[in-house]
Amino acid sequence: MHIGATTDSRSYRRAVAAGRARMASAGRRPWIGAATVLGLAILWYVLTTATGAVSPARFPRPADVWSAALQLTLRGYAGGTLWLQIWYSSRLVLLGFLVAAATGVPLGLLMGMSRRAEALINPAFLLIRPIPPLAWIPLAIVWFGLGDAAKIFVIWFAAFVPALINTYTGVRTLDRTLIAAARVHGASERQILTEVMIPGALPLIFTGLRLSLQASWTTLVAAELVGAFFGLGRVLIIAAQDIYPGMIAFAMALVAILGALMTGCLGLLERWAVPWRRT
Amino acid sequence: MGRSMSQISFQSVSRVFRRGSEEILAVADVSLEVADREFVAIVGPSGCGKTTLLRMAAGLDFPSSGSVLVGAREVAEPGPDRAVVFQQFALFPWKTVRENIGFGLKCRGVPAAQRNAAVDRYIEMMGLQGHENAYPHQLSGGMQQRVAIARSYALEPEVLLMDEPFGALDAQTRIEMQEELIRLARVNPRTVLFITHAVEEAVYLADRVAVMTRRPGRLAEIIDVAPVRRAEAWEERPIEEVMDLGSFTHLRTRIWKMLRDEREAKAEAPRVTPLQRRKAGP
Amino acid sequence: MGGAVAADVTAAQGARPARGRRRGAPGVVELGLLSLGGFAAFFGLWFVVARSGVVPARFLPAPGVVAATFFHLTHDPFAGYTLQQHLLSSIGRFLMGFALAAAAGVPLGLLMGWFRWLDDVVSPVFEGFRFIAPIAWVPFAALWFGTGIGGPILIIFSGAFPPCVINAQRGARLIEPHLIEAARSLGAGHCRMFAEVLVPGALPSIVAGLRISAGLAWQSLVGAELIVVSSGVGYLMVQGQSNLATPIVMSGMIAIGIVGFLIDVALRAAEARIRRGWAGA
Repeated sequence: MHIGATTDSRSYRRAVAAGRARMASAGRRPWIGAATVLGLAILWYVLTTATGAVSPARFPRPADVWSAALQLTLRGYAGGTLWLQIWYSSRLVLLGFLVAAATGVPLGLLMGMSRRAEALINPAFLLIRPIPPLAWIPLAIVWFGLGDAAKIFVIWFAAFVPALINTYTGVRTLDRTLIAAARVHGASERQILTEVMIPGALPLIFTGLRLSLQASWTTLVAAELVGAFFGLGRVLIIAAQDIYPGMIAFAMALVAILGALMTGCLGLLERWAVPWRRT
Repeated sequence: MGRSMSQISFQSVSRVFRRGSEEILAVADVSLEVADREFVAIVGPSGCGKTTLLRMAAGLDFPSSGSVLVGAREVAEPGPDRAVVFQQFALFPWKTVRENIGFGLKCRGVPAAQRNAAVDRYIEMMGLQGHENAYPHQLSGGMQQRVAIARSYALEPEVLLMDEPFGALDAQTRIEMQEELIRLARVNPRTVLFITHAVEEAVYLADRVAVMTRRPGRLAEIIDVAPVRRAEAWEERPIEEVMDLGSFTHLRTRIWKMLRDEREAKAEAPRVTPLQRRKAGP
Repeated sequence: MGGAVAADVTAAQGARPARGRRRGAPGVVELGLLSLGGFAAFFGLWFVVARSGVVPARFLPAPGVVAATFFHLTHDPFAGYTLQQHLLSSIGRFLMGFALAAAAGVPLGLLMGWFRWLDDVVSPVFEGFRFIAPIAWVPFAALWFGTGIGGPILIIFSGAFPPCVINAQRGARLIEPHLIEAARSLGAGHCRMFAEVLVPGALPSIVAGLRISAGLAWQSLVGAELIVVSSGVGYLMVQGQSNLATPIVMSGMIAIGIVGFLIDVALRAAEARIRRGWAGA
């Protein structure tokens, strides 16, 4: 399991790194990307509006998305306007994510530092981990109903695991020589924790937090799709019931943009907190 | 503490490692005394247990039998009186040059103003001006090792333990650092235990060179370099000149021979095995 | 003086553990016992809380009750089917979505790794779509493909596709340039290069990607089944939830966990095998 957890987060890390490398490489010839996006937009317009080859009942026209955007912003849809829905969803994501980070990171540190703590905690973790976060949704609804508590509970389960595993891996894969170096220069156990282990694990902690945040967001949207009073997932499911493709597309775009924004903010935070990282 | 008193003392030290069910004797019955302010180098082939000896003096490892004393006290844990310089530098990647050098003083609770003054002194001494706020990865290998040496010196420890500190550097930088170390030893003499597998380096730097055998690591011989060094005033001369001196090449060749003889003696017994294996192969 | 030092030495040796391990490091036996204790604590706490009545049994059934329900579900249909039948239809969807993602994603990734212009064209769009959580495809999936087979498969596909592409692209990109130059100087064309250099060279990375992809596919499947289908383990759980039948919900979670675990174990074994074959070759 220990080895498993490590390789798992390593492949995550690899995937993340690969994603970054890709973005960097794509940045070299950005006009090609821009041209592709423009070409797709034109294709969209031609297929749906100019020729009518695709029925607007199945795939929205640009104008449909625009009017859906106006409706949600000005008059509201599925119980609220754009800002209310965004506020509802992002508030829950942040709450759930913070709870997960505040429990997962310290527990990961503890398990990374102490073999005893690891042996004691690992079994429960081992039993719970294979259950995908989304599978907690029905149980959360039975326990807490459709309100905020159920969502925070589910997000916690989803976001807790990557935060814990990556923190743990960060501590365990830390160069042992650095700890020895701290010790021979007179560091106390507490100084080893604050001056060596935490900063040393920080890059991987941030990798874990990024995965946590993504998991939080996905899980919240799913939970809102299953049952909620407000939120972007609620907008999506109502639009699906109303067979309103314009609104579906707009809500999906919102989900993507908000997800990207949150990841971006975390990236900024990371750049500030990990200034020594090689670029 | 009197000059005659020994600072580091290995007393019949043995160390057994267990790998699976197998027991490996890494260090066998080594006794070695390092006097106060003396520079002793241990040379030997890789895997002869020389680094294990250093780790035991540092308190990062412990003997299976025998005892290791530093300053007349049994080594029980790592401590700032015995700073270690590691081969891989072991600088903290998240700390700047300044923070790395000040780390030990910070651990000791030295107030910031005093600490800064000490750090400035060592930055100057090691020629690190202009790099104070750089992170380690922005420096060359030689510069990184200067920082690591400064970090250890800043603690003003009784004993410095250096574990192949120049092993990861290129030949040019290595020579520069060797001269630098000699200079440092003159202005700031310490008791030094220096591990290396480079014979020339050992002869150039050390007062005494201890030669170790292949596993199980035993002390083959201790060669006294100090009288020759003093007589010919090596410290006053540039390194390339010293390495051309007859006395230097004589000592170097003697140690090389010792290491080779010892290797051949060892090789005689097991030589049968590879041949047999080759025959058995396809 | 010498005597005092010697006394000091023996005292210190007495306090020190044998073998030179760092003081206070735990042994194998102690760690094993702690692990057992961890298991016992998990089930013990569950049992005690459930039995004490602090939480009503309706919400937290005891472990034994859940086990009995799990067993019961294997021969007594709930929500139309037995547990095995639900699982079979879930696994069928999973396999189809996953196979589709692999069949489309791996070649695309390899081509992107090989042809720079294709990477430049596809990457921005791909990155944009990657930010859409797979579960957000639910409305369109239902609208375009219905709630039977097609809809869930689109959702699974959208979860499983990105790692396939990323790892194949990365695997192709990271092949030793010497190998490519060598093959080219030996006269290999595009096709041969693909079959004999690119695919085998990128294989370890591809398999690692497939493992991540399978995990995400299984998760997305659960999400899809909670919302849009009328069979499968996710559906069983939703039905259990609307009947406030906690043991059924928990049985579903356990079944999902076990299958997910087995999928991971199988792909891990495949990955290890391929890596080993590589090292041996």
